[in-house]
Amino acid sequence: MRKLYRNIAIVTTIFLLALSVMLGVSYYQMQQVSPLETGVMETLKELNDTNSDNEALQQQIRELDLLSRKAYFVKEGQLKMGFYLLLGMALVLVVCLNLYYRETKNLPEKDFDPIDDWMTKSRARKYLGWAAAVVALIGVGFVVVQQIDWSNMFNKEILAEVQDEGESLEVNNESSEGSGEKVDTLATDSVKGEEVDSAEVDDMPELKIASRAFRGNNSGATSAARGIATSWNLSGKKNILWQSSIPKHGYNSPVITGRNVFITGADAKARELYCYDVWTGELKWTVKADGIAGSPSSMPKVNADTGLAASTVATNGEEVCAIFATGDVICADMEGKRLWAKNIGVPDNHYGYASSLLMYGNTLIIQYQNNSNAQILALNTKNGNTAWSKKSNDKIAWSSPIIATLGGKSALVVMGNPAITAYNLGNGSELWRVECMSGEVGSSPASAGGVVFGASEYAKCVAIDGATGETLWEASDYLPECSSLAATKDLVFCATSYGMVCAYDAKTGEVKKEHDLTTPFYSSPVVVDGKVYLFSNSGKVYIFSASTFDLITSFETGEKTFATPAFTDGMMIVRTDKSLYCVKK
Amino acid sequence: MRKIFTILLGILYSFNALAVARFPKPDFTSGYQYPDIVHGAPNELFWNILDVVLLIGMMGLVVWAAYKKRGRAIILSMSLVSVLYFGFFRSGCVCSVGSIQNVVTAAVDPNYHLPWYVLLVFLLPIVFALLFGRVFCSGVCPLGALQELINVRNFRLSRAVSATLSMIPWIYLAFTILYAATRSQFLICRLDPFIGIFRLGGDLGVMSFGIMLLVMSIFIGRPFCQFLCPYGALLSVFSALSWKKLEITDKGCINCALCGVSCPVDAIRAPQNSRTKEERWRGVKRIILFAILLPILTVAGSVLVGTQSDALSLAHKDVYLYELLQRQEANPELDEPLEVETFHALGGDIEELKAKVDDIRGDYQFYAYLIGALIGFVIGFKLLKLSLKRGRKTYEIDMARCTMCGKCFNYCPQNQPTRRAISSRTSITSKNNIPDK
Repeated sequence: MRKLYRNIAIVTTIFLLALSVMLGVSYYQMQQVSPLETGVMETLKELNDTNSDNEALQQQIRELDLLSRKAYFVKEGQLKMGFYLLLGMALVLVVCLNLYYRETKNLPEKDFDPIDDWMTKSRARKYLGWAAAVVALIGVGFVVVQQIDWSNMFNKEILAEVQDEGESLEVNNESSEGSGEKVDTLATDSVKGEEVDSAEVDDMPELKIASRAFRGNNSGATSAARGIATSWNLSGKKNILWQSSIPKHGYNSPVITGRNVFITGADAKARELYCYDVWTGELKWTVKADGIAGSPSSMPKVNADTGLAASTVATNGEEVCAIFATGDVICADMEGKRLWAKNIGVPDNHYGYASSLLMYGNTLIIQYQNNSNAQILALNTKNGNTAWSKKSNDKIAWSSPIIATLGGKSALVVMGNPAITAYNLGNGSELWRVECMSGEVGSSPASAGGVVFGASEYAKCVAIDGATGETLWEASDYLPECSSLAATKDLVFCATSYGMVCAYDAKTGEVKKEHDLTTPFYSSPVVVDGKVYLFSNSGKVYIFSASTFDLITSFETGEKTFATPAFTDGMMIVRTDKSLYCVKK
Repeated sequence: MRKIFTILLGILYSFNALAVARFPKPDFTSGYQYPDIVHGAPNELFWNILDVVLLIGMMGLVVWAAYKKRGRAIILSMSLVSVLYFGFFRSGCVCSVGSIQNVVTAAVDPNYHLPWYVLLVFLLPIVFALLFGRVFCSGVCPLGALQELINVRNFRLSRAVSATLSMIPWIYLAFTILYAATRSQFLICRLDPFIGIFRLGGDLGVMSFGIMLLVMSIFIGRPFCQFLCPYGALLSVFSALSWKKLEITDKGCINCALCGVSCPVDAIRAPQNSRTKEERWRGVKRIILFAILLPILTVAGSVLVGTQSDALSLAHKDVYLYELLQRQEANPELDEPLEVETFHALGGDIEELKAKVDDIRGDYQFYAYLIGALIGFVIGFKLLKLSLKRGRKTYEIDMARCTMCGKCFNYCPQNQPTRRAISSRTSITSKNNIPDK
């Protein structure tokens, strides 16, 4: 009988092992499967997005959805059944082993430890000492690893490789796409706020918080940056890391990603995209918008307050794109190599084209609303090909698009005349449209808590439920002309061109607080670290509490400022009419 | 570092993938009305009272069986009852092991309600341990009882290895305290290896771990109790100070060594002469060294764990969400994780969240330093303890380690003087150098 128990135990063990492997594989497969995200399902859903009235299609999706769920749970049931089988067989194994060892299991085992208890203790001390040392070393290793910025090291390696290629890269820039050019660092006029060791600067990491479009990521007018200075002095260089001159004029705002700060400038002779180093203010490279087919030979007539480079660039961290009043769009990589350029048509715009760009992944969004051929364009950032375009009957506007989270999904929101419209980012299909604007719309919308806010002078300030497109409230106490709104869940901040600034209640539209600052504002407010930063045209800075809109502090910087600052880890980059400077504690 | 913790947490969270299959609702209305969410009624008072009564009664019976009868049969019967009642019938909840978390949470959070029976389930085994040793571990804890019942053979690990591994429960206890005190999660409940078996379903990853432990239990005595159980670590302190000390026999030890080799948890100390080959001064120097090292290790442990508090805090759902939001903010081109989408859809305020996260990280910093100190102290104390010599003339039970399984009672020839097996067993012990009586 003993032999029988042994054989049963062996067979059971083999069975257990095989079943365990099968269950393990099955479990792994189930972890990988996402039943509702199959290719077929996604395609059908996309079809449904474009044709939401197709009942048959929806029924088909429902049936497929149900089938997928059923299949998933049936498989899960099978897995559980297999597990119970495993438990049962384990029980059989235990019983068989008990029976097999029945005669001998109470015999004591020979003790392989030395009988000398002291020797055992000595050995245990040694083991424990080593184990503690290993654990401590691992802990210290973690602490050390935490101090190293691996991504920066990795990037430095790549940079070294790029530098090795050196001149050939420059040659390529000049010969192929043309005008990407390295800038002689001596030619740039950069003034350091403090003496910084060059080796130290090289070690400075890339910044984690990006500001990839006008008013920050998604053009959202909020930033996750922390530790921004609340006082600085340009002449005394207090809290000023650097200040650099800008080769050509422009009203566009700075954009930050990695170590790069991007702005553009233009005059009658050239239109240029500039890249500065965020730590030093050094002008790293310039890409020219020239040699573009369709580009006008003479500059379009523009207002002096708008200029030829009013639109802020956009980046996705790999490419940076810029647009000028000529309708020229250029796109470069982070090393200053021009990837592509095209003219999307000279804007028929009596003040000059001013809408800023926006990027969503590899899609470049252009709000191209002029007196003729108004449309929303989505271009592929890799090659400039049109991903989708949406013709519009809206009138001319100077507003910039934003990406907002509406009903739990990211959507494109465009404010124009006469409507604020939400679009599907993937295909440009219209989600909702609220006709509420009029006049010359130059301000841009904002969004918080799933609500879209928009305001324009000679129109009104409106709050729209992002999920449904329903108007929640309207107000007309104070309205912006060029400055755009910023919003939190509780307050909507507005700065006017006649010196009044106010905070609307985001729920009701009631004016919660107002300040008569008697100075015009073209720059837009940005919510950062519980505060609202706002520059007047004269260059006076106002910092308010984002929760109460109480004025915390204000001071003059001495340089006219029309652009909106960009924020990153502990730094603020400001463009004035003369220079670009970095504020850092 | 944070990425490493994030990945580890991701793996940890993914264990739950099957336990709670989350599917989105269909994308458009079908006319189906979702039923209201119904929460199960809390445990009835009757069952709670019965739990406590049975706990006291069974621990009393084990005390009687161990101290008066010196027999294993009653203890095994209790094990069976415990597995069936506390394990399968009561689904392993609430258990004394997990109650540590409720007590810690109640200690740091005045708003947390600690039910009376949970407090009793936590305290009663400690009270019994202070009086009689680890009675609860014997046959009342369903986790220990399950391992005891399926044990077939007892292949023992080296005592030196066992002593080293016995630090793991303290580390587990330390992190349990950290996560409970910061209201992050109940680690013991999440990682209880046997709960899925008692409930016949649950997280497959954790259940697989439980099955692995059970397979080990067939050949090694109580691996979970020896090398993992945080409550066992706590009880071992009280048990070492217990009022009554368990004796293998009341008829006098004959130093046959049978009890020593029968113990599955290495809780029986062999007789030894206090004289060793080592010079006395060398031993004294070692004790002084470890006495000096004790506070140093405590501080070092505190600093080491304390510096990791930010990374550890990712275990808290709010901190994790905040990190996701930060990542999304920095890389808006990435697909939004479900958590971020939900946060935005519910109109979450990042500033509010940040304030909350700052508070949580403050708590983490404090408790991380505290548990680091605990871990360092325990290691230092163990090293010190291992440096002490104490002479023994007979086999004695180490009350801190003994789980009162009762095996040694059956092996002791003094308890069964009539058994014929005695003569054959004593021949084996002749291999060992047992000191003269």
